Amino acid sequence: MPKQGRYWISDTTLFLGPAILLLAVFFVAPIFVNIVVAFTDMSQSVRFEDFPTTRQFNKLGKVNEEALLGFELRGSFYRALALTGTFVFFTLFIFNLSFALILALTTTAVPERMGAIFRAIWLLPRMSPSIVYALLWLWVIDSSERGLFNQVIMAFGMEAMNLRLNHPMAVIVIANGLIGASLGMIIFTSAIRSIPDHLFYAARADGAGSLAIVRHVILPALRWPISYITIYQALALLVSFEYIFLIMGPSRSTMTMAMLSYTKSLAPEIGGGQYAYGAAIALILIVIGIIVALVMWRLANMKALLQQPRIEVR
Amino acid sequence: MKAIILTTAAALITCGTWAQPSLAEDVTVKLWARADRSGPLRAGNIVDAADQLNRAFEAAGSDTRIKVDLIETNAAGFDADALDLLKAHSVGDGPDIAVAAHEWIGTFVEAGFAANLEDHIADNAGLYADIIPQLWESVKYKGDRYGIPQDSEIRMFFVNNDILRKAGKSEEFISGLPARVEAGEFTMFDWCDLAAEAVNSGAAKIGWVHRPNVGPDFQMAMASFGIDIYNEDEAKLQITRSGLEKYYGWLKYCVDNGSLPADMTTYSWDSTHAAFRGGDAMGKFHGIWNVGAQMESFGLTGPDDYFNKLTWIHAPAGEQGGQPKNLSHPIIYVVGDTPKKDLAAMLVGLASQHVPNTAHAVSTNHTPINHGQTAMPEFIEKGWALIAGTPMLKFAEFMPNHAKIGQYNAITYTGIQAVETGEMGPEEAADMVIEELEVELGDDVIILD
Repeated sequence: MPKQGRYWISDTTLFLGPAILLLAVFFVAPIFVNIVVAFTDMSQSVRFEDFPTTRQFNKLGKVNEEALLGFELRGSFYRALALTGTFVFFTLFIFNLSFALILALTTTAVPERMGAIFRAIWLLPRMSPSIVYALLWLWVIDSSERGLFNQVIMAFGMEAMNLRLNHPMAVIVIANGLIGASLGMIIFTSAIRSIPDHLFYAARADGAGSLAIVRHVILPALRWPISYITIYQALALLVSFEYIFLIMGPSRSTMTMAMLSYTKSLAPEIGGGQYAYGAAIALILIVIGIIVALVMWRLANMKALLQQPRIEVR
Repeated sequence: MKAIILTTAAALITCGTWAQPSLAEDVTVKLWARADRSGPLRAGNIVDAADQLNRAFEAAGSDTRIKVDLIETNAAGFDADALDLLKAHSVGDGPDIAVAAHEWIGTFVEAGFAANLEDHIADNAGLYADIIPQLWESVKYKGDRYGIPQDSEIRMFFVNNDILRKAGKSEEFISGLPARVEAGEFTMFDWCDLAAEAVNSGAAKIGWVHRPNVGPDFQMAMASFGIDIYNEDEAKLQITRSGLEKYYGWLKYCVDNGSLPADMTTYSWDSTHAAFRGGDAMGKFHGIWNVGAQMESFGLTGPDDYFNKLTWIHAPAGEQGGQPKNLSHPIIYVVGDTPKKDLAAMLVGLASQHVPNTAHAVSTNHTPINHGQTAMPEFIEKGWALIAGTPMLKFAEFMPNHAKIGQYNAITYTGIQAVETGEMGPEEAADMVIEELEVELGDDVIILD
């Protein structure tokens, strides 16, 4: 073997080995295990007798030749899909994109130190343990007159509201959105900071107002970060259940796909222990995630972002 | 120098002592128990039993010593704990003794975890002859006994008498309530009407509360509406559409008349307890082990004081002339099918005797497992509530020892959520629940009518 080849192997092992191992153990293996388990009948006793079987998928839908796609989804699964779509759409567009953008624009428009303080405050919920964040939410939206939200609206002469009962989707969208907006805020802020100052001066010299600067200078520069945040956050929200579970519990009104998978497999006291069933739901979630990612990749033309630079300056 | 030599010598001697081979034979028994404020002695009694056996060994000049390796888990409830236990068992790390809720027996046997105790019980009749026979039913799976009951309880409806008095109810009405429930005159609908009356008169803020999550309590309300959830002959779960519609119809009635909070299923346990113990709710649907906490929060001092403040009733009948119901939910010892199962079973036998079991029962408000315990002075003095509750057992039902009962309860609970929050009507909820039961439980559930 030529000397160079030997080095190549040892260098690859040395430098890429840990990363490959990490990917294999924590990313590839769980998906592989999930696929295998989804096609078994594994339940509480953690053993399986039947493999491969599509029994779990039959719980989610059934073949119906009259239906549009040749199969018909079961009520609870259809509902979970619809709730997931609503949850992801509203959280993503209202908070993770729009609100993050507003935060980035406003905190970069004010003096730098003040902007940094505001951004740090928005990051606080991210830094605190999720259980603390959820607990604060539970106190805020408590349905009694003691709840902070109710105290505020009652001060304006309104009647106390039970948000968890009457507006559950709004609760989980806002709770997830307020914490999720911080990622977009940071990415957008750094993108705005990387716009050369002379562009702003030139725009000002040409008589552009603040809105025109946002429209013609900043937004075009944010195209790639916005595409990236859209794809990344859509995927993250698709599988997110932490705050939904902590704030709403296993409530029917917020039983998204990720929550359904969790309650059927791992959540105690609420029918957990159906590992194969949970894995089947998770597998569908993985497939949906891949489709969503590919479609968005195409729509946002992410390939152009990641392609090799055509010129190289040495 | 002298000091160094002495120190070295001392160190060597110490090492020598440590290095000596141990002649004593230690046998370690692994005990799996959930850390639970409502029953610390479930584990403690096993440890005491081991100490007792060790003293016998010592007296006999034997070097054998039993050590109990306590695996105290922090699972949120018995269901979560059972799932953890099954995971441990599946990787060969199962315990020799486990404290569990009885309805898991079926799953434990199917998973190969629980040992059949029929021979042990027959060989040691002296240890088990006084156990209340009905309790054995709770540990049977396919006709054989796979556990030893450790305690039992009675679940019922608690009523706050002071709220009834404030709502203008007479003492005769209050004292006559249990008898009217037993006679089937006072129905589930009357219960909600009474609670609504208490709310409307301003005597109570909330009519009544039930548990805020999936659990066995609902079974007795379902039974009141004629739903017999277990078919013993076929060892299958079952449901009736008409019964389910009546049951959900009743819940809707209670929410609509303002006696049951529409968001009951989103309450936390803390707020559920606080609603009743804080004097806001007229009624609560729970178990006898609440007595201690109720005494404390209402500031009560003894039995007379207690029954002046609170009344116990069964889950009333669904309709006039029907039978009231209540539920008992024994916690049991399960012996793992391990090489140490005989020793483990002996420890369980010793821990199930009158004195240790009474210590557990009276300190945590659980009913006894042996007939003789109710005659013990300690029981009469401290267990007055349990003695008062024991006659209620004549209407008691147990949860079926079926592997899918947890799933069954979780699915019927989604119907409760749907009806109470106003998402679905009773018929729609019954359809949804029956579809889910058919799909998820398949052959394990029989759908009647």
